[in-house]
Formats: sequence, C-alpha cells, structure tokens
Amino acid sequence: MPALTRRHLLSATALVAFSSSALGRSLTGSLPWQPNEAYPPQLVRPGGWYFLTADEAAMVDAIVTRFIPADDLSPSGKDAGCTVFIDRQLAGPYGTYEWLYMKGPFSANPLPTQGIQSPLVPQQQYRQGLAALAAHCRDQFGGKRFEQLTGDEQDGVLRAMEKNELQLGQLKRPLLDAKMFFDLLLQNTMEGFFADPVYGGNRDMVGWKMVGFPGTRYDFRDVLANPGQVYNKPPVSIIGRPAWNGRPA
Amino acid sequence: MRRAALLAATLVAASMAGGTARAEPDNYTEAARGRYLTVLGDCMACHIGPDGQSLAGGHLLETPFGKISVPNITPDNDTGIGRWTADDFHNAMHNGKRPDGTHLYPAFPYTSFTRMSRADNDAVLAYLRSRPAVENRVDRDTLPFPFNIRLLMAGWNWLNFTPGEFRPDPQRSAEFNRGAYLVEGPGHCGLCHTPRNLIGGDRDSEHLQGGALQGWFAPNITADARLGIGDWSQEEIVAYLRTGHTDRTAASGPMAEVVAYSTSQMTEEDLKAIAIYLRERGAAAPPAPPAVSAEDPRMRAGEAVYADTCAACHVGNGSGVAGMFPRLANNQLVRQDDPTGILRVVLQGSRSVATPEAPTAPAMPSLGWRLNDQQAADVATYIRNSWGNAAPPVTPDQVRKMREVVADRPG
Repeated sequence: MPALTRRHLLSATALVAFSSSALGRSLTGSLPWQPNEAYPPQLVRPGGWYFLTADEAAMVDAIVTRFIPADDLSPSGKDAGCTVFIDRQLAGPYGTYEWLYMKGPFSANPLPTQGIQSPLVPQQQYRQGLAALAAHCRDQFGGKRFEQLTGDEQDGVLRAMEKNELQLGQLKRPLLDAKMFFDLLLQNTMEGFFADPVYGGNRDMVGWKMVGFPGTRYDFRDVLANPGQVYNKPPVSIIGRPAWNGRPA
Repeated sequence: MRRAALLAATLVAASMAGGTARAEPDNYTEAARGRYLTVLGDCMACHIGPDGQSLAGGHLLETPFGKISVPNITPDNDTGIGRWTADDFHNAMHNGKRPDGTHLYPAFPYTSFTRMSRADNDAVLAYLRSRPAVENRVDRDTLPFPFNIRLLMAGWNWLNFTPGEFRPDPQRSAEFNRGAYLVEGPGHCGLCHTPRNLIGGDRDSEHLQGGALQGWFAPNITADARLGIGDWSQEEIVAYLRTGHTDRTAASGPMAEVVAYSTSQMTEEDLKAIAIYLRERGAAAPPAPPAVSAEDPRMRAGEAVYADTCAACHVGNGSGVAGMFPRLANNQLVRQDDPTGILRVVLQGSRSVATPEAPTAPAMPSLGWRLNDQQAADVATYIRNSWGNAAPPVTPDQVRKMREVVADRPG
C-alpha cells in the first residue's frame, strides 16, 4: 500500500468534514436481509492429511495424547481429533498467517504485550519444529522416534521444551525455540479439543461434554425459569447433534 | 456544482409543470377514486417500473408457461397507454383484449377485473392519465412457443373465462357484497389463492382453496378452520391485512407485497368487508389427515432440530412471540397439504412486511445451509404435526426440489 501523503490526508479529512450528513444517518424501513443469506463455516475436509506428513502426524498424535491422555474424563487428544484439527488449520489460512502483518522487526525478547514475533508462519514452525524435535529424539534415545518413546520419556521431552531446556537444532528466537513451539502445540491442542466439531477436533463434542459447555445454543429462557435445576441438555454443534439424525446422543 | 444544481432545479420545475398540466382539475374526484381503485387492484405489485415508483412496468412475471413481461401503463404515448381511449381500457379490463383486438394473457387478471364496473374502469384510467408519462419500452414477446401465440387465448377464454360485471346478492348484507366485489373483482385474490388447472385456468370447484405459484404456496382462504381463515376473527383478518402482522402470523413472500402496496392502504370499512365476505362465504378444504405420531422417528428427529434451531424464537411450545415471531401452534399456514410455504421459509429465510403500523418487519434467517434434506423434512413434519397441527409428513425429496426452487429465486 502506498504511503499516506499529505494530500491524501487533507482530502480525506475534507471528505469527512463535508459529508457530515453521512455520519449521522437515520435508517427507516426494514433491517437488511437477503434471501438465502448465510455464512456457513467451511466443514472439515474428510480423510488423509492436508499439510502434515504421515510421520509428522504420528508425532503430533503422540504429543496431543500426552497433553490430553485418555482417562475417565475424556478420550485422548488424538481420539478427539486434535491432530486432524491442527492439520486442517495448517492447510488453511491459519497455516500461513494469511491475515497477519508479517514484516519485521521481530524481537527475540519481546514484551508480553507484543504478541507473536516469529517471522515463521505456523506451517514453517510445525515443519521445522517437528523435524528438529525428531532429530533430538533420534540423537538422545538411540534412534527412536518421539512416538516410540515411553509415556514418561515423552513427558520428559515435553517438560524440557516447556522449560526451554531443549535445543531445537539450529532454531532460536525469534524464529522458534522449544518454549515457543511447546506453547504453540499446547495452544493448538486446546483449540482442537474445544473448537466446534465442524473443524475436525472435539469429536462428538467430547470437549464440550467434559466441561458442560452447551454449544451453539443461544436461548436459555426455559432454563432460567427453573433455577436450582440441573442443566442436562446435550451440547449442539454448528451443524447439529446426533439426535437431529435420529441417533442417540 | 452550480450547473448541476441549476439542471436539477430545472428538471424538478419541468416535471412539476408536466404533472399539473396532466391533472385536469375537473376530474380530480374521479382520479382520486381511480387512485384508490389501483390500490385495491394492487397494480403496483406487477406494473412497478424500474424507478420503483411509477407503473412503467418491465419486470418479468414468472408463470408455469414462461416469463411474461409486464407492460408500461403510464400515459406515455409510445411506450405506455397514452393513446388508449376509455373504451380501449375498459375492453382490456373487461374482456382481456388490447386495442388492436389481440388477446392479453390472464397473468393480467382480467378474469377478476371483468367484475369491475365501467365507471370504476374509467376512474382507474383517469388516475393513470393523471400520472407522469414514463418512457419505458417493454419487450412484450418473452413467452416461449407456443404460448407466444396470443390467439391461443381465445380458446383459453372459452374454457376459463366468463366476462361479466359483479352482481350483488340481494340476500346478503351490503358489507358482504362489498367484500365479495373487492375479493373477486379488483383484489383478484383468486389469482394466487385458487389452484390452477393444467392450462392455468382457475379450478373453479376449489375457489380460494389455496394455490402454488412462484415457488410459494398461497394458502386456503375459505372459512375452513383447519386450513383457511375460519379460526380467525374479523379483527384478526383486518389487522393482518392492514399491518401484515398478527399474533398468529406475518405476511411474507408475495403476500408481503400485497400488504405493502394494497391492503395496508385500504380503508377500515373495506378491510372489514373483506373479512366479513371471507368468513361468511363458506368453508371448503380436504378432510384433516391423522397427525403423525409423536413417537415416529421423523418426529423425534424433527423435535431435536426444532429445539436447537427454531425454539429460541418460536418457543418450545410453538407459541411464538406476539408481533415478532409467528406462532406455529394452531397455524393454518404450516399445515397446508402442500408444504411449499414452510419449506421455502426454512430453507431460504423470509422477511415479513413493514407497514406504517408495524414497521419492524422481523426476518428469519436462511437455514438451508445448516439442515440437510432429511433434517429439514423432519423439522417441517414435526412443526406440521405438533401443538394441534396435523398435516402430511414432508419427504427429503420435497426438500431437495425446494432447494432447486430457492436457488433460482433471489427473493
């Protein structure tokens, strides 16, 4: 975009000043409405991997399952579809930070308020981060892959990443370091576990059932009329719930 | 800037001068009467011009036989009806013929307008002549072969058309007769609300029992309580026609236009007369089917969809919210045998009409993206068979066909 010139600024100011009637406008008649108007979410594409390689996906499966192990609260992160969610997000606009300003400067020691600082987009962070992590495991655990380690060993690796005590190959800030990659993985896993099932994770709304989130319901008048009663309505996804198809919840 | 202002001022002055020259002072009363008759006849709904104000025509009316372009009826000499005599105009209204003797198509409801008196037709023409001429040439030959042969209408008329002025029934009240005149004459309610035979004529034996058109279904408006207006009080009918809204329902689709351009501008007396006529002229409808059992799997699935998708506005017990969201319980519209109306609104969404007394025009969003064919069919079946409603179940195939209909129709 060309830089704002003095002339542009002046003419823009004049435009606003002289078209003040446009600022205070009274609307009469009907609210805007268009037939067939809808902005449906893009449903998760079925089958296979769209960004991750099979090896990368196996590694992410193992990581999300350490973050969210299967227990009496919920199935594992893998079984909840977190890897599918992450893969589809990486293949979509998120994968390239399509909407983010991606020019420098990038700070290696940003203030907490300065947000994302890596010049790498998520696709690059995952590709390079997972490769470096795989190399780390190969070197440290006698040629094993991350997903071949025991649960305790995997936890050890993840803890070291969280504490930034692990070196991801040549990667360092602001590009990526172990802590940054750990945070990204954990963040995306939580998103996959709690986002609407239409995006590939939160399969069968397991995340919502676990925390009692009602989903896309937006009218609770009938519930509010009965204070003190247990709320027991099943959650609803953007595209419904099993009972819509005559199946039990 | 100054030049533009001068030009605009000149144009305004010129058009005002044109207007004054046309409205001859001695026929003001007749023209004013004619103006009200054009409201009764809802001329605007079809003849509205590209400017959105005049009767300059031009838009394409959808019929089962093809699209018919609506003529310009402003007094423009070349592109409108400026050269028509009063006899010409009466001949069109009464016999469905143009000045050159060729036939008009019955999309122009001469089958109803034939009930109007010569005096009324003269008044309508006086009003049309008092309006500014708008030049808008309309290609009148848009129908495909063989329907583009106007002479075919001679045979059609022989089968489907009985010319003749309205004759009041001396056994009935003046209000009933006024209502009958309005409904059967200028109001031409039967054009939509009476089912058509194969060649597009009225199925007279089913007068006002509801008809499909333009991807909508105009419901039964006989006095039948289940499908028609038999359960509506006179006040409710009057309120519906005047405001487009009652606690039960809201006008949308083609009826929204009728309310906006026509019935909302009618006098209280005429609305009452219409209500009295419709309520007293008799009931006719097929017998009620048995309601689909609440245990039916389609009803179970439909109930789940309804609870999550519809109940926030229409309320779990189908009561709706008076004045905002139509009541679905005991609603004639949702239980017409033909589910076109409910499917159209569910798939495409709908906006009700805004009238001076009910300016909000609440709208319903399109849900076609959220429901698959089976789910849309099931929720319609559920609504049509709950809270006192009973109607034939809806099939996914009907939904699929309706999707094709709404995809073609922007509004």
